[in-house]
Order: sequence, then structure tokens, then C-alpha cells
Amino acid sequence: MLQKRSWAEPWKVKMVEHLRMTTREERERAIAEAGFNTFLLPSQYVYIDLLTDSGTSAMSDTQWAGLLKGDEAYAGSMNFYHLEAAVRKFYGYKHLIPTHQGRGAEHILSHLCIKPGQVVPGNMYFTTTKAHQELAGGTFADVIVDEAHDPDVMHPFKGNVDIDKLKALIARVGEKNIAYLSLETNVNMAGGQPCSMANIKETCALCHRHGIRVFLDATRAVENAYFIKMREAGCADRSLAEILREICDQTDGCTMSAKKDALVNIGGFLAVNDDELAEQARNMVVIYEGLHTYGGLAGRDMEAMAIGIEESVQLDHMHSRVGQVEYLGEKLINAGIPIMRPIGGHGIFLNAARMLSHIPREEFPSQALAAALYVDSGVRAMERGAVSAGRDHDTGENLYPSLELVRLTIPRRVYTQAHMDVTAESVIALYENREKVVGLRFTYEPKHLRFFQARFEPVRGKQVFTG
Amino acid sequence: MKTIIEPFRIKVVEPIRMTSREEREVVLRSADFNLFRLHADDVLIDLLTDSGTGAMSSLQWAGVMRGDESYAGARSWFVLEESVRALTGFEHILPTHQGRASERILFELVGGPGKVVPNNSHFDTTRANIEHSGARAVDLLVAEGRDPRSRAPFKGNMDVAALEGLIAEVGAGSIPLVMLTVTNNSGGGQPVSMENIRAVRAVCDRHDLPLFLDACRFAENAWFIKKREPGYGERPVAEIVREMFGLCDGATISAKKDGLVNIGGLLLVRNPELMRRADELLILTEGYLTYGGLAGRDLEAMAQGFREVVDEDYLHYRIRSTEYLGERLLRAGIQIVEPPGGHAVYIDAAAFAPHIAPAQFPGQALAVAMYREAGIRACEIGSVMFGKGGKPPMELVRLAIPRRVYTQSHIDYVIEALEMVFARRDRLRGMEIVEEPPSLRHFTARFREV
Repeated sequence: MLQKRSWAEPWKVKMVEHLRMTTREERERAIAEAGFNTFLLPSQYVYIDLLTDSGTSAMSDTQWAGLLKGDEAYAGSMNFYHLEAAVRKFYGYKHLIPTHQGRGAEHILSHLCIKPGQVVPGNMYFTTTKAHQELAGGTFADVIVDEAHDPDVMHPFKGNVDIDKLKALIARVGEKNIAYLSLETNVNMAGGQPCSMANIKETCALCHRHGIRVFLDATRAVENAYFIKMREAGCADRSLAEILREICDQTDGCTMSAKKDALVNIGGFLAVNDDELAEQARNMVVIYEGLHTYGGLAGRDMEAMAIGIEESVQLDHMHSRVGQVEYLGEKLINAGIPIMRPIGGHGIFLNAARMLSHIPREEFPSQALAAALYVDSGVRAMERGAVSAGRDHDTGENLYPSLELVRLTIPRRVYTQAHMDVTAESVIALYENREKVVGLRFTYEPKHLRFFQARFEPVRGKQVFTG
Repeated sequence: MKTIIEPFRIKVVEPIRMTSREEREVVLRSADFNLFRLHADDVLIDLLTDSGTGAMSSLQWAGVMRGDESYAGARSWFVLEESVRALTGFEHILPTHQGRASERILFELVGGPGKVVPNNSHFDTTRANIEHSGARAVDLLVAEGRDPRSRAPFKGNMDVAALEGLIAEVGAGSIPLVMLTVTNNSGGGQPVSMENIRAVRAVCDRHDLPLFLDACRFAENAWFIKKREPGYGERPVAEIVREMFGLCDGATISAKKDGLVNIGGLLLVRNPELMRRADELLILTEGYLTYGGLAGRDLEAMAQGFREVVDEDYLHYRIRSTEYLGERLLRAGIQIVEPPGGHAVYIDAAAFAPHIAPAQFPGQALAVAMYREAGIRACEIGSVMFGKGGKPPMELVRLAIPRRVYTQSHIDYVIEALEMVFARRDRLRGMEIVEEPPSLRHFTARFREV
């Protein structure tokens, strides 16, 4: 299959879920009621849901069979041992601490490994990760390569750590004041851009020379491994499983949201090599999440995760996964739509600042674009620009990140090629009528993680898209 | 009819494994005599907890298949919201991955150093979450609740005079809320009467304090009210449940008990300001407001579970089968907390093995013996669970009955095994702790026999 350009799926459909078509009038009413925030739309009004690839994937029949094999014993569930074996085999860490999802693992890691006042460098921020670091008294420092902030520059590994920036940071604040390096694979906020194996090795070696630990955000590490195989010299003949292990072997542990790569609807884990840290984490997981052999998950969910991990490293699966994302991306590029390049692993990031250049940044072009796309076709996307970035802690002013994007995130194994075609047609139609899209202003702005619940209104008229 | 049958038949079974005595001896040693450390595979009948271990119905499994996994605004969320609103009358509902997450969010918001939180009896994770925040957890159980022989109908009640005393002592300003655990788990699964909830409510009103329920077993408590409290005999359980929740300002619920699910929890709050702050913490640590760290399918299963649990045929069967185990043990001369509780039978381990001092954990010794003898796993609730830094009121071993899982012949086997252990009770040996973590030590501590 791999030799061909086609990305035909290595599975057939076994169970379907009905979708409801809506009229434009219904959608106009729904988005207004949702305060022009796609997060606030009830899913029954959504036709194609590209809000996130997190927990929205279709499980395989083997995973569903695993659900029925759930051992719901409170302590020592058989499924825990299956999951532990899968994590040891494919990620290679010694200790597994399951959590109900990724942010449960981030909560524990931040709590245990950050002392107030310490700096946590990372290759670009992620919303919940940064919030946990700040909650623990840390400050995030961005050490990603400059190319990551430029949506047009072609670079095979835009997720890389800028070694000079990292060295400068260590020299400036001192290694003792660095809690750990948070290394994200297939950097989400940069558009799903990978790190190279060479960069991961160099970064980890540098940190370890200074006695700084490296914790991987392994959420999309398998998608990253796929890009390494495709793009990095000397890696073409290696299996995804081998590359994944090599990535993990460089680091001291990981947090994982299994709702992405591992093809489940719920679940996550913290995995570490250090015995003492593992013991501390187990003592904490029992307070926050659940006993250390279930971590707040049903037994069946651990079984589905163990099976999902094994499925995620299959080359045919990943080829079709990334192939589908590339298919949508290339359609848009061919139509002249400005998107983040190269195409990332889990979604297409529309360059909203460029697409809607008539809307000033203060009127949130990404938020307006996501709302307009929904009105046009019922496709739900996610704002990833100034609304997500929030306000400056000290000045209280809006932050305007260099990337003003709308993310079309593709759930795994859920939508067909025809669904991708509809999405592309809608984005193209919207682009052709872009001057009809109106900017937005806040009517309600939450203090933390405002993008989830904020409400807006159009700066003129009643609708965001007057086409 | 005298015989109570299950108001269901079996649709799916899960094989369980018999082990030999030699195997169990090896397994016990490798688990350092802590039954939480056993592989579930090596357990024949698992009475460790009724939390998350129940069997779901075919309708709940159908809900699992229907689960809408959308990240925001999933249909399954609205199904749950409606079910819980109908059940409790609360408008604002936060889903959490399980009960302790609800507790953590609540006490992160209202706890903290200098604060005091009274309860009839705090359960282990509640206490841990309160103490973790720096606050003090105080138990104010009525005196008969601490007497295992008393047959009082509502041994879970709070001592209202003691509550007044505590308020006078520490000041209402340092009490962020008053809690009532229904039914009272650490005190034998004993119910709280409606009259007592009303009396506590009145004290709260006088001092302008919010009242919260730890409502894990709200339906079982409501059933006891129906059966035992004057004036409630003819009232539907669903109405009693509404009345209980109606008297409160909020509740934490682990749906793994009376929600009849394997995973899930809720936080209910009336105060709009507290609710807004809880929303923010929920998003940060659990998940978005419309899924709270659960799969969509879990929301569906919970919605259906909350509808099924107030079915009176179910509750009749549930409480009666626990009572059956309790009565048979009493008849064999084994002392239990009387009357039998809703979800579990609690053996009085101090009376069972009077030759073992509390410092050598008679409850742990009995639980180990039950596993060694018959492959049954039970849970110590005594000096191991609550003994660090104080003396627990009773030395108990809890036989918690998972909902809709075991049949009468399983329970008869448990009775027979306990009779055998009881006949040779003088051979039970005390235990000592070799290694323990700073909090919640019962989950992970290592023991040896003395």
C-alpha cells in the first residue's frame, strides 16, 4: 500500500453514527446562541466536527472487544497490567501511572517537578500545559526555532528546539532555576510540526549535561515518528515503533493524552524512569485521580488504550492518517488558500490573518473565520490565535501571537474522503466571499483559558458572515 | 412472597478463577499482605469495594454504544444533564471523572489552612482532599453510630448539638461548609434520616453556612428513609431523593456507586460565584464543561444509571441481599455493625479477634485470613485506613457488595468461608507495617505478619 500515492484506509467501516444536516438558518441561529464561539455549539447542530482530534476518533472492533473485557476491579485490574506492558514495550518507560486524561498527568508532573519561581522551557506553549505550569508557580519560556512562528517558511522540522535559545536561557537563569524541559512532539500550536531525531538527541544531551530533566509531551509522538521516517536521513527503513522508542529513550519520562495517537475516547498517563518520582506520583494520583492501578479510568478504557497503542504504530495506519490530512491540505493549497506549511500531522491550520486581511487583529479574524465556516457548511473548527493566547499577565493587554490560525483538526478513522471534499469546498467558497466576513468583539471574557467559554458579537450587524 | 429475587436476569458473564491455597499464599506474600496490591485475576470473590464494580444494564451498554464523543456540546452531555436535573432538582451540574475529583475541586475552592469541615464521618478520600488543602476534617457522628451493637435506625446521623458546639468553638467564619455523607460509609453504611438533614439544615441557616451532601449512596439512603422514617412509607423513592437534595446547597457524587457505572462523578453547586470558579478548575484539571474528563459513552451510561437506581424493586433487592449476608453472619456468632448497612456488611474485627491489639491491625489480619482461606477480598476500615495520627472509632472489615454482580450462591460461599475462619479465629496473627506513604496509606502500605 505504501508505495502508492493513494492513502486508502487499512480498514473497512463496521459501525456508523448518524449525522444531521442543518439549514443555513438553523446554523445562523445556533452560532448566534453560542456567542460565535464554536466551543459552545451543541454537537447535534454540527455536520463535520473538526474542533479537535482529541478523544473523537473511531475505535477498532478489537478495541471495542477490549471494552467488553474490562476488568472493573478497583485494585489490580488485569487491564492495568496489559496497559503497563504496552507502555513499556512501545514507549519504554519503567513506571506507568494512568490518569483520566492528559491534563491529569500534566497536573501531577507540574505539581511534583516545578518549584515556585522556576522556568520551564518548551518548544512552544500549549494552553493547558502552560496553565498547569503557572498553577505550580513556574514560568514558561519558548525555545522553539524561529521558523515555527512563520506560517509560510518550508522547513521539514518546524517543531525543533532552537539549541542556541536554550543555551542562552540556561546561561541567563542558571540550570538550577530550570524545572525541566518540556519537549512536545508534533507541536500542536505550531500546526502539528515535528521535531527531528537529531534535534531531540541534541536537546536532551544538552539538558542532561546541565542536570536538567526532559519530559516529553508524547501526545502525538507516533505522528512525529512518521515524519522522521519520511523526512530524516537514515530513518526511512526503520519502523515507527523503533523510532518512537528512540525518541522516548532520550527523555526522562512523558505525559500522554491517549485521546490522540492511542485512538481512544478517554485516557492518559504519566510514565517515568525515576523510581522515587514514580512513587511520589503514585501517592499523588490516588488523591487526584484514582488508585494507581486505574488512575480514574474504567478497566475497559485501559484495555482499549493498550490495544490502541499497538494499532497506532502500524505504518499503514499512520500513512492513511497523515495521507488524509495532506489530501485536504493540498486541495486548499491548490485553490490558493493560505495555510500553515508544511502540512502538519493532525490538522490543517488556516492562516486567518491572511485569509481575512480586512479584519484587524483586535477583531479576532480567527474567531470570525471559524464562526463563518460553521455558518457556511456546518463544519466546526477551532480558533488558535489571539483569543487562545489570552492576555499578558502584567499589562492585561491582549497578546497577539505571530500565528493567527483556525485549526481544522481531523479525528482519526472517522471521516471519509467526501467529508474532506465538503470541507475544502466550504473553505474555498468562504475565501472567495471573504470580504463578507465581519470581525467580532467580546461580550463575555473568562479570566483563564478564555477561548473555551468566551462569547462574542459581530462588530456590525447580527451575523458574522453576510454572504 | 418472602423470597426476594433480582429484578433482572443475566445478559453477559465474566469468568472468575479458582486458586489453590498454595497459590494464594505466594500471591499474598508478593503483595506484602496488602489486598489492594493483589492482581484482580487472583481474586475469586471481590468485595473490596462497591465503587465502580457494578454490572451495567443492557440499556446502559446501549448508551455506551450511543456515546457522542464530541469534545464540546456532545448530545450525551445534554442527556446526562437532563437526567440529573430530574433526579436532584439542581440546575448546574459539573461532570467529573469520579467523586474524588469533585471533592478536590470543591475543597481547593473552599478549603485551606485554618478552615474546619464538619461531617457525620468523612470517608478516606474526602478526608485526604480536605487535609491536602490544609483544612481540618472533623467527624460529628451521633453516639449510637459508634456503637456496633446499637440497632438504632439512623446511625449515620450527625450529632446536631456537637455541630453547634463546633461552630461556637471555632466560629462560623472558619467553616466553609457542613457536609453529610449519605449513607455513612466509614461508619457501617448507616443512613441519615430526613429529620436529621433538616435539623442540620436549620443549624446551617442560623449561621449562614452552606450544606453539602457527599451523596454517593443517595438512593440507598432514601430507601432506608422510606422503610424506617415515619411519614415516608408511602412516598416514592424518587421524591425522597428530590427532598434530600432540595435541602442542600451542593453535593459531590461518585457515580460509581448509586450511578451504577464503572467510572464517573458529579459536582452540584447552587451558588453562582462558586459555580463559576468550579467551572474554571474543572476545565484546567478534568476536562471541558460538557465532558469533565469522561468519554461521551460514560455520560450516557451515567444518565441511564441514575434513572435505574431509584427503581424500588432494585433497591428492595439491593438492601435485602446485603441484609441477608449480615443476618447469616450474626446467626453464626460473628459480630457485625448492626443493623446491616446498605452497600456492605461490616465485621467487628476487634470482637472477632480480641487477642490482636489495634496497633497490630485486627481488621487487616482478618481480611488477609479471608483471602488466604477462600480467595475473598475485603477491605480493612480501621487502624490501617484511619489510624495514622489518631484512633479510629471502630476496627472493621468491610464486605462491600458490588451492585448486580454476585448471586446468592456467591454470598453463601462467603458465609461458609467466614464461618471457617471464625472457628479458627484464635490462630489469626497480628500485622505490622513495613513501609507506608505519607497519606492514604491503606492503598499502598506493605505489611508483614508478627
